[in-house]
Amino acid sequence: MVGAFEFAPAIALLPLAAFVVALLFGDYLPKKGAYAGILATAGSLALSLWMLVAVFGGEAYNEELYDWAIGEEITFHFGILIDPLSALMLVIVSLVALLVHVFSMGYMNDEGETGLRRYYAELGLFTFSMLAFVMADNLLMAFIFFELVGLCSYLLIGFWFRTRSAPSAAKKAFLVTRFGDYFFLLGVVAIGATFGTLSFAGDASFVDAAAGAIDAGETFHGFSAETWVTILGLLVLGGVIGKSAQFPLHTWLPDAMEGPTTVSALIHAATMVAAGVYLVARMFGFYALSPTALAIIAFVGAFTALFAATMGVVKDDIKQVLAYSTISQYGYMMLGLGVGGYVAGVFHLMNHAFFKALLFLGAGAVIILMHHEQDMWKMGGLKDKAPVTYYTFLAGALALAGIIPFSGFWSKDEILFDAIILGLEEPIFLVAYAMGLLAVFFTGFYTFRMVFLTFHGEPRTDAARDPHPLGWNVKAPLAVLGVLALVAGVANLAPVAKLTGVDIVFLEHWLDGEYGAVDGLLYSEYTATAGLETAYIAGSETITLIAAGVLALGLALGGAGLAYVLYNVPEPKAHTENLGQAREVLRSNYYQDEFQVWLATGVTLPLARAADRFDGSVIDGVVNGVSSVSLFGSGGMKRLQTGVVTNYAALIVLGFVALLVFFGVYGGWFV
Amino acid sequence: MMIETLIAVALIGALVTFLAPNRIAGKLAFAISLIPAALSLWMFTAFDGSGNALLEGSTLAFESQMEWIQLGEYTISWFVGLDGISLPLVVLTTVLTSLAIMSSWTPIDDRESQFYGLVLFIEANLIGVFVALDFFLWFIFWEAVLIPMYLLIGIWGGPRRKYAAIKFFIYTNVASLVMFGAFIALVFGLGDAVSSFALPEITAAMHDGGPGAFAGVSGTTLMSFAFVAMFLGFAVKVPVVPFHTWLPDAHVEAPTPASVLLAGVLLKMGTYALLRFNFTMFPTDVIEPFVIPIAAIAVISVIYGAMLALAQTDLKRIVAYSSVSSMGYVILGLIAFTQFGIGGATFQMVSHGLISGLMFMAVGVIYNATHTRMVTDMSGMADKMPIAVGILIAGAFGYMGLPLMSGFAAEYFIFFGAFDSTMLEYAPIFTALAMFGIVIVAGYLLFAMQRTLFGPYRLETDYEVGRAPLHDVAPMFVLLGLIIALGVAPELIFEMITDAVDPILAGGDF
Repeated sequence: MVGAFEFAPAIALLPLAAFVVALLFGDYLPKKGAYAGILATAGSLALSLWMLVAVFGGEAYNEELYDWAIGEEITFHFGILIDPLSALMLVIVSLVALLVHVFSMGYMNDEGETGLRRYYAELGLFTFSMLAFVMADNLLMAFIFFELVGLCSYLLIGFWFRTRSAPSAAKKAFLVTRFGDYFFLLGVVAIGATFGTLSFAGDASFVDAAAGAIDAGETFHGFSAETWVTILGLLVLGGVIGKSAQFPLHTWLPDAMEGPTTVSALIHAATMVAAGVYLVARMFGFYALSPTALAIIAFVGAFTALFAATMGVVKDDIKQVLAYSTISQYGYMMLGLGVGGYVAGVFHLMNHAFFKALLFLGAGAVIILMHHEQDMWKMGGLKDKAPVTYYTFLAGALALAGIIPFSGFWSKDEILFDAIILGLEEPIFLVAYAMGLLAVFFTGFYTFRMVFLTFHGEPRTDAARDPHPLGWNVKAPLAVLGVLALVAGVANLAPVAKLTGVDIVFLEHWLDGEYGAVDGLLYSEYTATAGLETAYIAGSETITLIAAGVLALGLALGGAGLAYVLYNVPEPKAHTENLGQAREVLRSNYYQDEFQVWLATGVTLPLARAADRFDGSVIDGVVNGVSSVSLFGSGGMKRLQTGVVTNYAALIVLGFVALLVFFGVYGGWFV
Repeated sequence: MMIETLIAVALIGALVTFLAPNRIAGKLAFAISLIPAALSLWMFTAFDGSGNALLEGSTLAFESQMEWIQLGEYTISWFVGLDGISLPLVVLTTVLTSLAIMSSWTPIDDRESQFYGLVLFIEANLIGVFVALDFFLWFIFWEAVLIPMYLLIGIWGGPRRKYAAIKFFIYTNVASLVMFGAFIALVFGLGDAVSSFALPEITAAMHDGGPGAFAGVSGTTLMSFAFVAMFLGFAVKVPVVPFHTWLPDAHVEAPTPASVLLAGVLLKMGTYALLRFNFTMFPTDVIEPFVIPIAAIAVISVIYGAMLALAQTDLKRIVAYSSVSSMGYVILGLIAFTQFGIGGATFQMVSHGLISGLMFMAVGVIYNATHTRMVTDMSGMADKMPIAVGILIAGAFGYMGLPLMSGFAAEYFIFFGAFDSTMLEYAPIFTALAMFGIVIVAGYLLFAMQRTLFGPYRLETDYEVGRAPLHDVAPMFVLLGLIIALGVAPELIFEMITDAVDPILAGGDF
């Protein structure tokens, strides 16, 4: 039998082929290349599942396939790493990509969109980049495809380039993430230069080299090995903060809603934004070496989770609410990883991929229903008119809010549990925990505010009274994701396992190499490296578990309940005036955008213009000054400048002859 | 005789084109230019050289040497050959010339035979610069490049063409004089150790004791002075800040094909000469005191050049200033004195040649259609010229260092080599500072694209804008293909580059 892993490259290459096909022949294909994309992503999904089965069968794969640049001290290569984490992520990405392709036929094709060839080509390239990123076996390859993911986001966010806002949003997305990627690239360069390798795993991994250097007490550039590892980790984290839209580089993400909703689904659930957190998980062994870096990840995540959730409560546009929820949810994943909850973080990454893709595609369905209206205040009453959309969206909302037994509850609960038990030992983490906990309330509130405003009450506009019908290609992806949002939590029912003693933490076993695995990339190894101490309330895990779970669930229900009281009425009111001055702050997103625009146009641009003036007056002034002095002395010479080409040619020939004569005489040619 | 054929075809072609009727000159020149292009590509595949042309223990490809002039005690010879550093640049020159000629068909409609003749004449001299291994011969080619470029800018240029052409000519010529004087002083200082102007011989003598006292200064001082003078001479050509002000003027006034060659190949003459002379010929203990200042100049060129680009509203000026920035990376790579540093710098010479050529062509195509290059004059061009704009976007991302395009490979090599440098103190800090250029370059290119290419279509002129003809976009497709090929498989040329770079580094501990 041919090994499954022989086909691993095809997982990424199939969507690349779809990109080429759609780009070259899209205009001549039925559905403008949609089928090519569907076929390719379905192939990727099938192959990814095969990888999953192979890993389940106890295998793993870590191979260098192609030398990109060969140097004496270090050779940069492309390779493929299939381990439990990447196999899982491959399935998630290819599944979401497939569903987005199918949904696109309803959202883009059926709505008479032009530029579909470009759309499907870019979608294929996007999927290719993300899948290759997930499979990368080293940090440089990860960076390469990380950047390509950024390019594709740029292209797709700016898909409707004839508007003013979409190109602006696309530029912002690329520029803000580029700022983060600057640190990432510096980190890649520094890690490569320091350890001479960029491999994630295997005999010569930079993680092992770093651990060895710390053990040996080496110093680098005047820093102790541990400090240096922290610096390197934080540099890479810059890229993560940019791509995963963590504070303070989150500002691009809400603007990115300018892209088609299908693209938002892909970006938020499985590609661009997920790439950042996935990278932290991918090199978790490295972060585990540095408690400082982990703590920073935890605090960035916790703060972002709360910060973004508060902004979500005042938004009117359904996609904006979802955008802020994405930022907030990725904050949770970062919090989970930062407190050492590797399994919890990956678990939430998976669950979020499903329920956020569901919510965005649901929002896309709502936008079709509403004849391209996105303002929730113009909706209402869609519940009875579009039951499939409503119930699937509700499933996604329940998962997002973290209501038992939907998937989001289990993973969020695990993250918060990991945070509190670390906080009980090291109280500073209780602050992070508190932020995460508080965000639960806001999440419940804005999620159900969205559900009630969109689907409940009375229709508030003609569009809501007479919704556009939906096709199967819209409903089928929603149904698949709706089921996943409900049941995906089964993968790791940690609280149930702890309370009942039944061993049902499949994901934990999966990530701990119970089946196939690559050495050095196991959950238990990470835990051992990080060596984080934990404690429990009253010394009892059970009490802590129940207390934390009940508290979080209570807050989520509280938030949802408040939304119910305020907005589940036939004629809902905004109620935002009750927020007083906070309302403006929240609506303006804490003036973060103003600050960044000011940095660009208020600081950088004037600086550039000042440099330009300096260049023109001082530097070039000196040059021209020197020349005018000499011109003054050589006024007569300018008569040579006749501007007639033949004159110049004659002079050149004359000079050449003179030169020949000179060398002829002095060089002894005629002797 | 391959190299001689290469140069001769271009020279004879120049003459033939010069005499041909205007009507057919463009096609004729293109057809002729395909011969050196094909020939150099064949040479690329048949390359059998190893090592560095200037250092011992190397095998030159297509070497040929014959005595030419006996000047007193010194022999001047026709001495040419290729190593892994010069060959990629020769291929770059021939390919870019062919493409530049094709891209001239639309904009050049005056005195075509003279124009295309001069372009081929430049090509011959550019090839000469990269293949010559005798100083005298090299210097003839080096100077001869200036004349046709001066004429191209001065005759076919924009409104301020005379100012720009004279500034270009005088500035770079004065720089050459400084460099020439320094080099001759060095040769005299070497005294009996050398009996010819052959660069390998001079290099060997420089590493083997160096010059003695000359004109009242000691050999060490002479070497340091010569190093600085030659650095300054080449720095103008590169150009680095603060000697860069001729470049934007020249570019803005130059016709598109001249810009393509100017940015694509002429700037590389400066960095190529720096690598050959300053960083190969001089022993490292001469270079060492100047490492930090040169690295500082590199960083300033990168950041300051990028800031200047940010302030421009003329698309051509934006690309011109960004060349200053990109060349700063080359200097950083060279001074790092590591395999990836110098190798990356050489790679960047080729890569930037392709990418800046592509950018100038794309801007030229838009200019042909709209008769304006001002960012403020247009909007939504993507609607009117989808293919040309698509290529411009691809080129811009190449310029920003998008992975799997050659610019990323080049910059990554340079950053890695610079960070890893042992010669450069505070290497990580210099690297981190220079790297910030990748953020600024993204800033100004994205802003410019947003304003000109996207948004609702608007053009503040009366011209009817149509799609670009095939012969305008075909050269850009070829360049894009090469850029992606080198980005995906840098080893295509990096292997031969490192082979020629390694001896330089091995000479690091003479």
